[in-house]
Amino acid sequence: MDMEIEALLRPPARTMAPYPAKVITLATGKRMVVREVDRKDVPTLLKAVRPTLKIPRDYYDIVGARLFAELLGWYRYRVRDHYCIVGQVDGYLVGIVNGRMYTGEIGMSYHTLAIERGLRIGAHLFAAKMEHHLEHLAQEEVWITAESPIGFRRWMIEYGLELKEGLQHELGGAGFYSLTKDIWNRAKPRLCVGDRPVPKELMAKAQAAIKIADEDTIMEQILGAKRRQLK
Amino acid sequence: MSELVACKCTNCGFVNYPKHDRCLNCRAREFEEITPSGEATLITYSEVCTLPWGIDERCRMLGIVQFENKVKAMGRLRVDKPRLGMRLKPSWEPVRVIGGEEVLGLTLRRAK
Amino acid sequence: MRKVAIIGVGMIPFGRRDEDSLVDMLSYAALNAMDDAGVGERPIDAVYVGNMGAGLFNHQSAVASALVDRLNLFPAAADTVENGPASGGSAIKNGVLAVASGHSDLVLVAGGEKMREVIGPRATDIVATMTHPQAEYIYGATLPTMAGLFTRLYMKECGVTSEHLARVAIKNHRNGLLNPYAHIHALITMEGILKSPHAVVNNPIVADPIRLYDCCPVSDGAAACLLCPAEMVGEFGKPAIVVAGFGQATDTHTLQEREDPTDLKAVRIAAQKALEMAQLKPKDIDVAELHDAFTILEIAESEHAGFFKKGAGAKALDEGQTEIGGKLPINPSGGLKARGHPLGATGVAQVVELVWQLRGEAGERQVKGAEKGFSLNFGGFGNNVVSFVLRRE
Repeated sequence: MDMEIEALLRPPARTMAPYPAKVITLATGKRMVVREVDRKDVPTLLKAVRPTLKIPRDYYDIVGARLFAELLGWYRYRVRDHYCIVGQVDGYLVGIVNGRMYTGEIGMSYHTLAIERGLRIGAHLFAAKMEHHLEHLAQEEVWITAESPIGFRRWMIEYGLELKEGLQHELGGAGFYSLTKDIWNRAKPRLCVGDRPVPKELMAKAQAAIKIADEDTIMEQILGAKRRQLK
Repeated sequence: MSELVACKCTNCGFVNYPKHDRCLNCRAREFEEITPSGEATLITYSEVCTLPWGIDERCRMLGIVQFENKVKAMGRLRVDKPRLGMRLKPSWEPVRVIGGEEVLGLTLRRAK
Repeated sequence: MRKVAIIGVGMIPFGRRDEDSLVDMLSYAALNAMDDAGVGERPIDAVYVGNMGAGLFNHQSAVASALVDRLNLFPAAADTVENGPASGGSAIKNGVLAVASGHSDLVLVAGGEKMREVIGPRATDIVATMTHPQAEYIYGATLPTMAGLFTRLYMKECGVTSEHLARVAIKNHRNGLLNPYAHIHALITMEGILKSPHAVVNNPIVADPIRLYDCCPVSDGAAACLLCPAEMVGEFGKPAIVVAGFGQATDTHTLQEREDPTDLKAVRIAAQKALEMAQLKPKDIDVAELHDAFTILEIAESEHAGFFKKGAGAKALDEGQTEIGGKLPINPSGGLKARGHPLGATGVAQVVELVWQLRGEAGERQVKGAEKGFSLNFGGFGNNVVSFVLRRE
């Protein structure tokens, strides 16, 4: 590697406050550990993202492809000031969210990918991401856009976000919205939950390995369709 | 205020709303058109947070009320903390856009 | 009237079935029912298809004709029956009448709906088209709205609490786990959906006081059954399950017009008619499939159908009477809550479940020794209700 050119291409990184892990009891009664992961975890995460590229339903393919690129870019030092938070149940990865610090004051929300559906995992992780930007990274606002109608309903309507006129979100696409501290403070009690600290044993299990379900299981969990016919 | 027209049976006096061509009470076919009068009393309500396509709001409060002249109707509640039996004042305001057109409906606010 | 028997039943797993069209699903369920009965090449005289919204969900009409074509059932008579979420029950009722009258011998009834072709809020809007156009729909009223308005009053007057509602959901999810055809295969806990502070996100308000887990999922699916005169049962290989009674009744379109909005009059009358026709009392029923599109409905219907006194349904639930193994198991299939609620399929799926139960073919969710079953299919918000009593003979 030509380190001289690499030094030019590799953006300087900002020091970012860590996201303190939390634990959420899901509808099933199982506990989901929500924690920040490190760059070294990216190859593992990509194994879970890859199957989603084949799922056009609900724009999973677009979200998956872009998340794949963002994580890869982070891993190989091409995306700056990036963070990634995951949800794990019994060690298994159930969802991923990511974003980055655009400036000191503005957070750029990237993607939310729920690998297990129907348990509000996307809602919990999106809230964790907003919490990270506004409370731990101490930013003033987060810029958010949606690629799917479901995302639009979930984020723009459920949080009551403000439409930003005349600016551009890094993900391009349609007009985008902003989560300000005021909106966050109003929405937080009904949208952001979790207990800290995570009990030691639970945290140790989550940190020991990010387990990834096999591709068929991931497809089944996302599509929710039984592809066999029962007699 | 009213665009809401109920039908009072000329035979038995029963107030029908929405419209029926035979009275819900006595099956007679003659009606006098009446509008809700006076304040309304809240019979039940629900804050709806999963609204259908076309209503881009997080939540809206709907309720069923009864007016002093017995007209019972659903309406949109513009009240912070509703309670059963509370008194409400009606108005006729836009409640939805259907096919690009604003549709007016019964809207209820706390009576003073 | 001739006595009518059900000689074949079939279903496909409910859920998201992106790969199947509505007619695909109806066809698979119908083939399963035909194979179950072993009808072979015998001609089918008439086909009734229960479907509520193919025109709106799938841009398709004349579904019964399409099914006949798909299965080469020509020249069978074919009708699509639309009665909102009770379309399936109405389709069976029409099939029963066709056989009972002597007009038809072998009748196929299928019910199906493909709802996941559209996104959630659109499905909500399509289902809401059954509300009153001027008096309800314009306000954004949905079926969950009607359930919310009803639940608030029912809680106040009949001693039902949020915990009771959650208990219905937990029970039916647990039953659904034993049903390979169920849409939802997930155990839920009181902690996860109500008691934990985290439940505010897990189980958000849909239409106060009802929450997400008080509502059935939006599902694709189909179910089918084959009817014939009881005297023909010997020609097929299955035990005789007869339609001992059926009832149907209607009530006002809007909730506000009911003298007592907590009184589900159409449920009372439909259930009473079905039981009277079968010459049975509620206490004679061994297993019931009720229309729990919302958890409150399982409790309210169990009371209005006469299984418990009004106000005693929640207590019966608390005591475990409605569990598999209880005094009156309700929704061993998981109900609409866990099996799913593809509108037109539901009434048929309820009857399919009862037939499996009465034959002793319900696997892990089998109600021991069940001989008499009851179903209730609830259309609109209780404005058109169809009920059946089945008996093993």
